[in-house]
Amino acid sequence: MTTLIRVSDLKKTYQTGSVRFEALRGISLDVQSGDFSAIMGQSGSGKSTLMHIVGGLDKPTSGSVRVGEHTLETMSETQLAIFRRSQVGFVFQFFNLVENLSVQANVELPALLAGGWNRREIRKRSAELLERLGIASQAGKHPWELSGGQQQRVAIARAFINQPMLLLADEPTGNLDSASGDEVLKILKEFNQQGQTILMVTHSAQAAAWAKTVLFIQDGLLVDRMDGGDEKSIAQRLVDLR
Amino acid sequence: MSAVWQKIWADLLHRRMVSLLIIGTIAAAAALFTLALTTLFNLEAPYDKSHAELNGAHLWLHFKPQRVRAMDIRQIEELPEVAASTGRQYSYSSQVYFEDTRAPVSLRVTPIEPPRVNRLRLLSGRFIQPEADEVLISRDMRDIYQLSVGQFVEITRSDGQRVELPIVGIVYDPMYDSYRASLPPYVYVSEHLLFSLFPDKSAWEWSLGLRLKDPESVAVVVDKIQSMRNLELVNDYTDWHDVRSSAIFDAQMAFIFLSAFSFFAILATVLIIVSIISSTVLAQIKQIGTLKAIGFTGRQILSVYVGQYVFMSLVGTALGYTLGLAMAPLPMRTITMSLNTSYQPPFNGWSLMAVFLVIPGITILSALGAAYRGARVNIIKAIAIGAEAPARKTFWLARLAERMGAPMPFVLGFNDVFVKPFRSLLAMVNLTIGVMGMVFGLALTGTIETYRQNPALLGIVYDAIVTRQETSDIRTQRLLAQTPGVEAFYGETLLEAETLNGQSLNLRAVEGQLSAFPFVVEDGRFFQPGSNEAMAGKGLLDWLGLKVGDSITLILDKDKGTKVTFQIVGEYPEPADAGQRLMVNLSSVSPLLKHTNPGTYYLKLVQSAKPDEIRSFIAPRRDSDLNFTLLEDIVPDTNYLQLAIFMLAAILIGIAIVNILIMSLLSAQENLRVVGIIKTIGMTPAQVVIMFSTTAAFLGLLAIVAGIPAGLVLTRNLLNFMASFTGFGRIAISLDTLTIIGLIPFALFISILGSFLPARWAAHLQIVEVLRRE
Repeated sequence: MTTLIRVSDLKKTYQTGSVRFEALRGISLDVQSGDFSAIMGQSGSGKSTLMHIVGGLDKPTSGSVRVGEHTLETMSETQLAIFRRSQVGFVFQFFNLVENLSVQANVELPALLAGGWNRREIRKRSAELLERLGIASQAGKHPWELSGGQQQRVAIARAFINQPMLLLADEPTGNLDSASGDEVLKILKEFNQQGQTILMVTHSAQAAAWAKTVLFIQDGLLVDRMDGGDEKSIAQRLVDLR
Repeated sequence: MSAVWQKIWADLLHRRMVSLLIIGTIAAAAALFTLALTTLFNLEAPYDKSHAELNGAHLWLHFKPQRVRAMDIRQIEELPEVAASTGRQYSYSSQVYFEDTRAPVSLRVTPIEPPRVNRLRLLSGRFIQPEADEVLISRDMRDIYQLSVGQFVEITRSDGQRVELPIVGIVYDPMYDSYRASLPPYVYVSEHLLFSLFPDKSAWEWSLGLRLKDPESVAVVVDKIQSMRNLELVNDYTDWHDVRSSAIFDAQMAFIFLSAFSFFAILATVLIIVSIISSTVLAQIKQIGTLKAIGFTGRQILSVYVGQYVFMSLVGTALGYTLGLAMAPLPMRTITMSLNTSYQPPFNGWSLMAVFLVIPGITILSALGAAYRGARVNIIKAIAIGAEAPARKTFWLARLAERMGAPMPFVLGFNDVFVKPFRSLLAMVNLTIGVMGMVFGLALTGTIETYRQNPALLGIVYDAIVTRQETSDIRTQRLLAQTPGVEAFYGETLLEAETLNGQSLNLRAVEGQLSAFPFVVEDGRFFQPGSNEAMAGKGLLDWLGLKVGDSITLILDKDKGTKVTFQIVGEYPEPADAGQRLMVNLSSVSPLLKHTNPGTYYLKLVQSAKPDEIRSFIAPRRDSDLNFTLLEDIVPDTNYLQLAIFMLAAILIGIAIVNILIMSLLSAQENLRVVGIIKTIGMTPAQVVIMFSTTAAFLGLLAIVAGIPAGLVLTRNLLNFMASFTGFGRIAISLDTLTIIGLIPFALFISILGSFLPARWAAHLQIVEVLRRE
């Protein structure tokens, strides 16, 4: 296995007026290609900030982030946008779908923005993804006509349309009931089993238990790491860290 | 500090960009409003104002030399109707030379001290010094011969020697009739200088200006003077009504166009403020929902928004008023100078009160309306969706664009047009006002240009005028028929007439080669030669409630009861007397009256005609009484008018750009979540800009489709409405197709320009910030 993500001494400081907040205080970690890692921590621990920086949504104050061949801190805004649409797929807690675009249009949006594929190929790929995620019959509907679980599946399909090397999921089950949450995690697991690298931020031990590796963050520092583990042991480790 | 005050300051300070832009829009609107008011103030009765300020004479008598005595003057001054007089005035008909030109002039003695009656207004330079060899020239002299202060004129003295005299000032005389003056332009000199040039005082002409107690008693006074002695004392006289009518003709185009533009500017100001304030308050409905949720009452919510907009409107109005005051002198000085009126400084109690009542008033009412709507909205709905739920379906045009393979940023741009239809509608209204402003400005300048190039539309169908005094009609006609460069001419006698109801009007009794002249007939047809048919000006028809096809009986001589009936067969653009004139065949009145020989001849010149040669041919001798005036010296100068309208239109376009900017910014703020999402999934900054520009361009296109016809309809109606006040007749709007075609990319450019900054702002938004906030 090769190293897909290499984070070195990553620091991120937010300054609001005279108030300074250190979200990340020097995190270093490697994520291997094909890994399914969960990042756990309390609110404000820096887990989402880490994910945003790895996904090219935010820039670090110092340190380095390398994803595949890309050194993110040196890239321009446009390069980062191209990086995000071609190399990364995002799944958010609140789905973040464009309300007045159909399910199919939402899924195809990143591919159409990239512009490299022809429309027939894009249509074929989106149909396959929707079929695979069990929402092919909803293709013509709009997000507001779907359940939360279905909307998250649309978000997953959208994340995979450009066949990214990395999938970033920020609390993907946070807004779902447990059955829908389990279904979403099952889908992620299936993609991971086919070689997809996934980095997931969660505060749920139940969700983290689906990952191969669990990384614990506290006060902007990576404080522990757990390879495998069930829901109970993960929850216990989290309690121990407080 | 109360919660309401805290919220007001928090909103003002934390939404600094929007607050500044709103203040900017209010300031621009207030500046435009100030300019519009200033224009209207300055346009108000310019001649009457000048006449009052200069204590102008109501009657100017030109006496017959050798027949008048000092005693006669005294007797006239003592008439009970006379309030004051200028005292005996001396003049001498002569000629001045400059470069290769010889110009007939009336050298007039002007007192060193400003007289009590009929003072001169100094337009540039200075008044003459006592006993100095220098001259002042009249405004007409300046306009006809393009002379200016600092230039020299030469006068041949009675001993045959030429004397060079500097022009030290240009003046306006409230009793010089620029349109139908029988005297050549005036050159003013000191009595000392006139005496040194022409020492024979018996050759000097005498005249007298009278200020009457009742300005309407001119005819009574003239009758009294005529009957004073058996000898006819008065050679000619000028009635202030005639001068006023000429001045109105000079000013009516400026009046119509500038007042129409001012009314449009006021209308635009109101619409702009209403749409922008409603739009900004409605953008805050989500926040209003939150305020209600935490316990703000409806009244407190109203206070929060009214408080904010009171503050912003007062600051904006103060800035705008100051800006308007600073800008006003530039166009207004030119306009008032051309109207021969005094410049009314824009700062006065009325304008201050009007601007500070109207602008904050509209702002507060708009804010109140929108906030009231917000205060009544369901809390949950307000928090969840704000003022307007986004459209749930993809806009058909976006689907079509996608099917046609358009790049995704364009598709999303089209889609955004109808995501929030109400917001888009407000943006479109603003853009439409901008487009209408452009159409208005262009149509006005285009129309002015058309009138300038084709004075026949103003009723000026000739190239030059010749007036006579002593030379007989037959001799003048014979001379004109032989003059090289004269293609055709017709003669005119101006007659006074009265309707059976006692309404006085002037008749143009004409004869000659009328068919050679491009008379414009706005309704009906031209009268048949030799018939009792007539054409009427629009002002006359409106005044007397007549229409083409009606008959009118007029009394031509009250003493003898001479009556004549004319059938009105057409309507023509009459430039004088606010259009209240009738044009008839001279042959229809000449058998009924004495002395109807024409005194004025209108000439059509061949293209290659040389005015100087014609002037020399018609009036070869210094003492010739034939006076030749070219058309270009008669038609009012329109450059200042076009400049003023361009300036006002530029301000309007500037306001439109600021409005689009605010609208796009608000739209970007409301669509922040979508911008965050699409940036997350890989939209580049350039694509975000394209997306916003597509929305703006589409809205711009809709505004063009709506704004061009609406602008043309408004321009036509507003101009004709204003024209009806002056009897100008119908105004045909002139806006050529090329200009309209050129307007389309320009309006699109303006629209895209206005959205560019918000688009850039959205393009460079921190995604994390957006996702966190939303």
